Amino acid sequence: MGGMDLDRTTTALLSGLFDPRNAAAWEAFDRRYRPILLGFVRNCGVRESEAAEIAQETIVRFVEEYREGKYDRTRGRLGAWLVTIARYRVLDMRRRAGTAKVERGESAIVDLDDDRSVGAAYEAERRQALLREALEDLRTRSRTDPKTVQAFEMLVYHGLTPQVVADQLGMSTHDVYLAKSRVAAKLREIVIRLESEYEEAPGDWEAAGSRPSDGLRG
Amino acid sequence: MAGETSQFGASAAGCGRYSRDELELAAIARTDPDAPVADGLVEHLSGCPVCRGIVDRVTSDNAFLAEVAKAAPVVRPAVREEAGPIAGYRLGEEIHRGAQGAVYRAEQLATRRTCAVKMLLRGRFAADRERMRFEREVEVVARLRHPSIVTLYESGISRDGEPWFAMELVEGDRLDEFVRVRGSSPREIAALMRQIADGIACAHRRGVIHRDLKPGNIVVDREGVPRVLDFGLARADGDAPPGSVAGGTTLVGEFLGTFAYAAPEQLAGDPGAIDSRCDLYALGVVFYECLAGRRPFEGARSIAELVMQKSGTAPERPSASNRAVDRDLDVIALRLLSADPARRYDTADALAEDLARYLDGRPILAREDSVAYVVSKTLRRHWLASSAAAALLLTVLASSVALAIAYARAERERIRSDRTLASFRDAVGSVNPESVAGSAELTVEQFLELIEQNAANELSAEPGVLAGVLDTVGIVHLGFEDVERAEKSLRTALEMRRALAARGECTPAELAESVHNLGRLLFLQRKTAEAEIAYREALALRTEALGADDLRTMLSWRHLAACVRRQKRLDEARGMFDEILAKARARRDFPALEMAAIMNSRAFIDADEGRHDRALEGFREALGAIRGSLPSDDYRIGRSLYNIASAEEKLGRIDDAFAHAGDALSIMRRRKGSDAATVQQVEDLLRRLTEARGAQR
Repeated sequence: MGGMDLDRTTTALLSGLFDPRNAAAWEAFDRRYRPILLGFVRNCGVRESEAAEIAQETIVRFVEEYREGKYDRTRGRLGAWLVTIARYRVLDMRRRAGTAKVERGESAIVDLDDDRSVGAAYEAERRQALLREALEDLRTRSRTDPKTVQAFEMLVYHGLTPQVVADQLGMSTHDVYLAKSRVAAKLREIVIRLESEYEEAPGDWEAAGSRPSDGLRG
Repeated sequence: MAGETSQFGASAAGCGRYSRDELELAAIARTDPDAPVADGLVEHLSGCPVCRGIVDRVTSDNAFLAEVAKAAPVVRPAVREEAGPIAGYRLGEEIHRGAQGAVYRAEQLATRRTCAVKMLLRGRFAADRERMRFEREVEVVARLRHPSIVTLYESGISRDGEPWFAMELVEGDRLDEFVRVRGSSPREIAALMRQIADGIACAHRRGVIHRDLKPGNIVVDREGVPRVLDFGLARADGDAPPGSVAGGTTLVGEFLGTFAYAAPEQLAGDPGAIDSRCDLYALGVVFYECLAGRRPFEGARSIAELVMQKSGTAPERPSASNRAVDRDLDVIALRLLSADPARRYDTADALAEDLARYLDGRPILAREDSVAYVVSKTLRRHWLASSAAAALLLTVLASSVALAIAYARAERERIRSDRTLASFRDAVGSVNPESVAGSAELTVEQFLELIEQNAANELSAEPGVLAGVLDTVGIVHLGFEDVERAEKSLRTALEMRRALAARGECTPAELAESVHNLGRLLFLQRKTAEAEIAYREALALRTEALGADDLRTMLSWRHLAACVRRQKRLDEARGMFDEILAKARARRDFPALEMAAIMNSRAFIDADEGRHDRALEGFREALGAIRGSLPSDDYRIGRSLYNIASAEEKLGRIDDAFAHAGDALSIMRRRKGSDAATVQQVEDLLRRLTEARGAQR
């Protein structure tokens, strides 16, 4: 259990992307990065339908540039590259709509002029994606006792009390607490593994290195 | 110490002193100061790496899992259920709808049991933290099991984001309806109240305060058992305890009903002042309402007026509205309604016990207070023994004395009698001032003065009775720390008794009582050598009149030994305490509190002499003696723990001392507030211990 899946590393995905016929690599890459980009773009105050479009375009654009050899991993992190593409897309869309600022009021939290804010927003989305994947992994791939997982879900997701969970699953409350701590440990383990697969340890975004040089439009 | 079985009685975890439940709650409390934490646990954690490790891990697990849950909000349902607003339940007919929300009959699908589901109308938990705190509290409440508490099964958030609770389905009538429709007698009402007080005591012992007791929250079921609903759920109303907000004039009418049950300190809006005694106040209003058929402060037209009324004068006695109500119940109800929480019953247990005593036909009771003991005894002896004197006083003081006398009568067979002084004060304070001629307000001092004056005028022909009254009055003054007045009364009483004794008109025991009381006064004035002389005389008189084994004789003896100790004649004092202790141990019926007092005094001498190991043994023994007869959070238990911790500090047993001082602090702080000098003593000790621990590491 828990070993790194070499086919799932970002390196493996990227090399697969060189081949236009490798649909699996494309799909895996898309599955991993599209939700992150979607979340990021949403947080830039973009409406849902447009956000989906921008996320899609960003992926496509990245793969094109990658195949053209514009993206060199040694020169910067993948995330920084992706987010830069997405950022230009959002700014471009705003220009076309004639609004420099966003009106979505409540959560236009990402300041696109501020690298730090952009980096933090991407990092937050990436972390959430990682946790989602970890949870999915816990349910489908890990060999964790289903009852343990169920106890955790009832406790954390359904807000049931340990007593009720214990009653319904025929275990003691002590076991329920143990299930919770076991799941936490397992999830942490999965997260560490996924981090290594992503090969993008969270770090200082500022030090991420160079970005795409051109404006990337059209 | 406090911990072989944890407070929830669940199996222990960590080092074994606390349960996993308690440790989990402690983890929550790290980020949520309002989460309930077991007594002494915070202090324990700072000294126990095992438990601290668990709490650290749980804290980090919870934070991590909350992050996971937030990142991945949608999961497949854990329990299969039919589509409905609440996972795991099928909702049936609506039973009740109020301002807060609606109550439905429901079926819990997993267990197929019928229950009631209460849904609150608005989504009130904006913050996760708030929701979690609420859920944890519900969890604690859900573990309460008592015939008079409606069991809460669980709570959750509906698909529409509204909080809900599932609870036992109870069918019956609201308490006030029940009482009204049946025309229940005061005695029947007292019986219902006793059961309610029992249930509330059970919750209080587990740290759960109801906060919103009212007739609508008490249902009498088909078997006639009163059941308290919605325990701990007042918080579901968010951060607004009754009375803290909603001052807007338009809401006044709407809220006045609820305010009627709120204690004055709740209305004042100081959340720090709210503790379990708010429930006792609310219960007092409910009790009053059932007895009198109306609320105690009915005339209020505004909240401000209500607050004024509540914090000012006491309401009329319930018996003024319902002549079937007897004096004992008047006293109990009015005591619950004291504006000062310190003057209410100390605990719901004490209330339940008093109601039980009333129902059994025994005199109602509070707990030991030796001043009060004397008051009550003397009142009985001298006010009632001479019916002529009683009649005289009655004509003078009219109704104000009536309650006090009722009280005195109630004390007749009393053995343990603490807090009587407070009760006495309440009895005085609950008198309608209008009925006392020429006085709009009557303080205890004025009341006593009135007694003194009238006694002197009317009882000049009966000096024996007068001396007794004066002695009593003196002791009451002493209780209020009015040393000057006390001295005047006590010395007059003593002189009169000496004169009477010389003529053979006063028994040696009576004279001894006056002499002993003078000793107490002198001791308080730190005239220790004079006090010693008085106690020696009292001891001699009592030994002769009552025998060496009489409790009163032994009391004079102990006080004498304390005088000797204070004058640093330690060997002599130790010899006396050893003798007293031996005699006390030989008696099977020796009162535990008095026994503990002797043991503590004896141990203090060991401490004076630097023999801290023996002192520790003595303090421990003293604690053991009182543990069975006092609630575990009684102030005196706290004091005992402090004594133990002090001795352990001297012995260098820093960790033990730290644990005991921590327990002492939590008890004493709760009972006396943080400002009390004794509490600060404990804090100083804890500070020293913390430094010592730091130096050790």
